[in-house]
Amino acid sequence: MTVRPTQPPSIVRRTLSGIALLPGIVWLAMFFIVPLAMMFVVSLGSRGPADSLILDRPSLDNYARALDPVFLPTFWNSIRYSVATTLLCLVIGYPIAYWISRHGGRNKTLLLIIVMLPFWTSYLIRTYAWMTILSDYGVVNSILEALGLTSEPIILLNTDFSVILGMTYGFLPFAILPLYVSIDRLDPALVPAARDLYASGRAAFLHVTLPLTMPGIIAASILTFIPALGDFVTPDLLGGPESTTIAKIIQELFLQGRDWPYGAALGFLVMLVTLGGTLLALGPLRREVAGT
Amino acid sequence: MNERHDGSSIDLEKQLVRYMIQRRLTRRDMLELIGKVGAAAALAPVIAACTSAAGSAAPTNAPTAGQTAGQSPAAAASASASAAASGAPAATPGPQPESELRIYNWTEYLSEDAIPSFKEMINATYGVDINVKTDYFGNLDEAYAKIGNDGGGFDVTFPTGVDVPALLAKGAIVELNKSLIPNIGNLGAEWSDPGYDPGNAHSVPYMWWTTGIAYDRDRIDENLTSSTSLWDPRFAKHIGMLDDWQEVFGMTLIQLGINANTTDTAEIDQAYNRLAEQRPLVRVWDTNTRRMMTSGDVWIGQIWGADLYRIQKRVKKARYYIPEEGGVKGSDTMVVLSGSEHPVAANLFINHMLDAHVAAENTNYIYYMGPNAAAKEFILPEILEDPTLNPDQELVARLQELLDLGPAVRDEYLKRWHQLGR
Repeated sequence: MTVRPTQPPSIVRRTLSGIALLPGIVWLAMFFIVPLAMMFVVSLGSRGPADSLILDRPSLDNYARALDPVFLPTFWNSIRYSVATTLLCLVIGYPIAYWISRHGGRNKTLLLIIVMLPFWTSYLIRTYAWMTILSDYGVVNSILEALGLTSEPIILLNTDFSVILGMTYGFLPFAILPLYVSIDRLDPALVPAARDLYASGRAAFLHVTLPLTMPGIIAASILTFIPALGDFVTPDLLGGPESTTIAKIIQELFLQGRDWPYGAALGFLVMLVTLGGTLLALGPLRREVAGT
Repeated sequence: MNERHDGSSIDLEKQLVRYMIQRRLTRRDMLELIGKVGAAAALAPVIAACTSAAGSAAPTNAPTAGQTAGQSPAAAASASASAAASGAPAATPGPQPESELRIYNWTEYLSEDAIPSFKEMINATYGVDINVKTDYFGNLDEAYAKIGNDGGGFDVTFPTGVDVPALLAKGAIVELNKSLIPNIGNLGAEWSDPGYDPGNAHSVPYMWWTTGIAYDRDRIDENLTSSTSLWDPRFAKHIGMLDDWQEVFGMTLIQLGINANTTDTAEIDQAYNRLAEQRPLVRVWDTNTRRMMTSGDVWIGQIWGADLYRIQKRVKKARYYIPEEGGVKGSDTMVVLSGSEHPVAANLFINHMLDAHVAAENTNYIYYMGPNAAAKEFILPEILEDPTLNPDQELVARLQELLDLGPAVRDEYLKRWHQLGR
């Protein structure tokens, strides 16, 4: 049997697909590339008297200033919150995604909708809800006192705990969906096949399911880590004085410091770090995809 | 009017045109003439009304018609507010307000009736159905960022008094049109010529306030008087501070006996060290003082004085005091922005806010004290007698105002502020 090489798509098809891509490209260009470029230009500028913007003397000074070690503790805050949130989302999200995929049956779509349902409420309102739940005289503490387990309120709000809890809650659906997609694509016959080959349940999971769903895990990690790194609302509302993140600093530089170039430079630095981390993580993902 | 005395009718328009051609009057000259006549006719009752009401001489200066050539005739405008106060009939309306007004304000900073009464007044006086749109901001930095150099599309906004010179330097605000603001005479003497804006050329004070400390008497059953109570380890993790570096540093500097607007980095460092001591005891930094104080997590917090009223609705035993070491005061003002497309309406709005009844209504609703002397007779007595909301003038004179310290000094403060947030 000869294998005929596939013909390259005709000119007509290529033009049509080019046109179909156009709205997406225009959108990305207008609302992503252009603002990013503007911010980059601003980051090369400097602040003039009366907080005006001076753009005609570009320099990398702001980047040098942004590397100031005074930001390291807050940057570390951002990183540890994001890493904790990502890990928790994976640990909690994976079993949920697995269960929906394997045991959802006819109700798979309904279950997925239930997972996404909180998104229909504003993110801010859900964060406020957590403030009510975790406050000294909120839901949790009231229940604990009513049950006689505590005599004084436990401080739950404005701590690292409340921040990570709020962020995990907010980003969990972001993690569950890619995990679900990846698990769902798994051939259901593979696990019984492994068991037939004398693998224990745990071994089957570790050596079959987990590696094969790694693309989903990496996608979920990226989808959780990157927004978590930039989240300043949750740490601001649910955190205490020691929960300041780099995102909050950038916001303060723009608003209270009225130093747009400095804030822009710091923002770009954070973006570069995030980009570097993402590319690192994507490496194994690309290898996985190429290998399958 | 279209009839001669013998009953035959005349075409008024034709006659008017013939008159203009004969006298070689251009359309511009005609408008000037009408303006001068109209100004004379309108000024008389207004001046009479203003001088008879409240005994204060209204500094109305109707611009000469020549200044407004090409526009609708100029005359003393918005006489309705002051006229209503004295019962005189509304004078001939002046420049027509535009059909829209865009306001940029703090949330809940006007009484519910302020804008409806303004729209009614405009409708009654000018027959214009004005559309008033309000946008809100939560803190000044957000507001100033949005206003930029030309107002960001708004007509009127409410900046803090000490920021007015900076806004003027940026070119963001314009001179007020005093001819449209006769009610400016209602201001109390101590606010009529502030240092940050001589002669009230660009701004009019709206409300003034103090920054101090509030605590729940139920949880802290003591009579606190000092700002060091915010450093008391007995209240660890139940202390709240404003999320505003200038207010926080200000209170600390005053406690240390230093001027709240110091530019000396050694003194700023002193304040930083003091705040670093406090940091482990602080539960939260928040400018939403009502949220901060009503959840029960914070027992003692730094707040703006007038917020006490809202806090007391939930925390019945909340008490407010200005620290004995000294405190901070400030005022919010009304300005017209340079990029405003509706300057007449903007000035008329400011005038309306200065009306004694409207100002009193605003004070009674938001529980901030206003600078309006004429409004005092209509303000609720419980506000006038409350030393928190209306401290005696001798105490007010001792309070300091936080100033715009310039980018370099601000950077010094912010660097330490960021270090605190570790």
